[in-house]
Amino acid sequence: MNAALAVDLPALAAALLATIACGTLGNWLVLRKESMTGDAIAHAVLPGLVAGFLVTGTRSVTAMFIGAAVAGAAAVMLSTLLRRVTRLEAGAALGLVFTAFFALGVLLLESQGARQIDLDPECVLFGSLETLFYAAPKEAPWYTGVPAEVWTLAGAAALAVGFSVVFGKELASLAFDPAHARLAGTAPRLVERMLLAVVSAGIVASFAAVGSVLVLALLVCPALIAAPHARSVRGQILLSVVVGGLLATSGYLVAAHADQILGSRTALNSAGMIATLLALAVPCSHLVRAAINRRSA
Amino acid sequence: MTASAIGANTLGVLAGCMLFGALAGAVGTFVLARRRALVADVAGHAALPGVALAFLAGEALGLGGRTPWLLLLGGAATALLAAWCVPALSRLRRIGPDGATAVVLAGFFGLGAVLFSIVQGHPAGSQGGLRTLLFGSAAAMGRAEVVALLALATATLALLILFLRGLTVVAFDEDFARSAGLPVRGLDLLLTLLLVATVVAGMQMAGIVLVVAMLITPAAAARNLGGRIGRVTAIAAIVGAATAAAGVLASRAIAGVPTGAAMTLAATAAFLVTVPYAHFARGARA
Repeated sequence: MNAALAVDLPALAAALLATIACGTLGNWLVLRKESMTGDAIAHAVLPGLVAGFLVTGTRSVTAMFIGAAVAGAAAVMLSTLLRRVTRLEAGAALGLVFTAFFALGVLLLESQGARQIDLDPECVLFGSLETLFYAAPKEAPWYTGVPAEVWTLAGAAALAVGFSVVFGKELASLAFDPAHARLAGTAPRLVERMLLAVVSAGIVASFAAVGSVLVLALLVCPALIAAPHARSVRGQILLSVVVGGLLATSGYLVAAHADQILGSRTALNSAGMIATLLALAVPCSHLVRAAINRRSA
Repeated sequence: MTASAIGANTLGVLAGCMLFGALAGAVGTFVLARRRALVADVAGHAALPGVALAFLAGEALGLGGRTPWLLLLGGAATALLAAWCVPALSRLRRIGPDGATAVVLAGFFGLGAVLFSIVQGHPAGSQGGLRTLLFGSAAAMGRAEVVALLALATATLALLILFLRGLTVVAFDEDFARSAGLPVRGLDLLLTLLLVATVVAGMQMAGIVLVVAMLITPAAAARNLGGRIGRVTAIAAIVGAATAAAGVLASRAIAGVPTGAAMTLAATAAFLVTVPYAHFARGARA
């Protein structure tokens, strides 16, 4: 395979799969006004990830995955508990819990795991899309050369889409009219907990490849870009994933080839570039909608 | 930096971190009361692009990339811009405060990541660059950094004390403040300024990712102990100073532990100690 493609294709695949996983689930978070819960989970999974590694001693995807999902869910439940016991407001309780979890993760990473686990705190923030590449196997089938992160992300994307399709009706009624959802006999608690678990799983899968900044951008921005233009929840999810995917692709290509496109000395951080584009697109999308409304009025 | 220089600097660093901890605790009390905890989170992350721009500007002007006052100025500029963006964006339909906070945080920190990669690729940035600013490092602070921290923290603390009455009234009884003719919007703007000044004063030591913990956690611990606002602010300042010092000493004792992480965990420990008190004290009152 062409050398440039061996670098660009896995990174693009990872970015797009992360867009599908986080972008889809982000719609539910945004509808429920829980965007910052996504940010909290994206920070809180770190100690679980490192602990999963330290306990098993290998970079086993399953162990790290379980550890991180447990940590993410535990952080959200702890902050709810704190609010009840100490009467802190929601934002402060989230901030208190996630900084503590993240600090614990950094401590574990720096004091124990850094050398063995091959994950440095900088990658945790900014991602390591640049380091994913396709190593063409000599004898084994072609797909064995695809980096493990891409497979994990494919699984997360499938889980996110499957969950949103199967429980779409319950999630929508829960987001728009919680009282009705309770009367209509759906089990709101159960669906809420499942959403929390699936969001944690999506974040964990994306975390190692794209970093915590881009995870937050992918959770929140696509949904908010699509919101002013969509007429139904399904339309909003579809539009958000399509627009998010386009922005992710262009952001990656601009950053990875910045030396040719922007004339910079080196390539730039691609997760950061995608996050910047996504965030800028949110007000732009709302301004476009306002302009359309003004013209038709 | 030689070993003796670090030794001579220790007292200065310790004084600087305790002053910062006290300031963060006191300002944090008002930040919590006005429900601005997540704005503090945004301000911390949003300092990154400004700091990176200041580094590049310092190199271009021949001042050196790590000129402390330039880094503080750059960080404060983008942090303030972000703090202004959050309410502006949340006014758009269907975004709301929660979504706006997340978008602004992600956008500014994403831009910061891009600029950070330029700094790390810069010839002057390769030796250290801004790496220590992410999670904080007391050990990487030289004399100039300590002086800048002490000056900014003292000025911010003086401003807080000067406007203590007005800030207190607005924080705890907005309606009364309005009817008494206090400039509520002006005082809120002042609180945002104090918040941003605290964040950038502490970023070398606590790091831009975790500096928000020093604004939230000591103040939350003090609130658990209860009492009048003056008492809560004083306790928050003491808890902040003590946990900041504990963090600096711990990060010095254990190799490789970033100061910001150590400070955050020390403050969390202090908070956890006060939780049962909050629970039982409320039970006794009820």
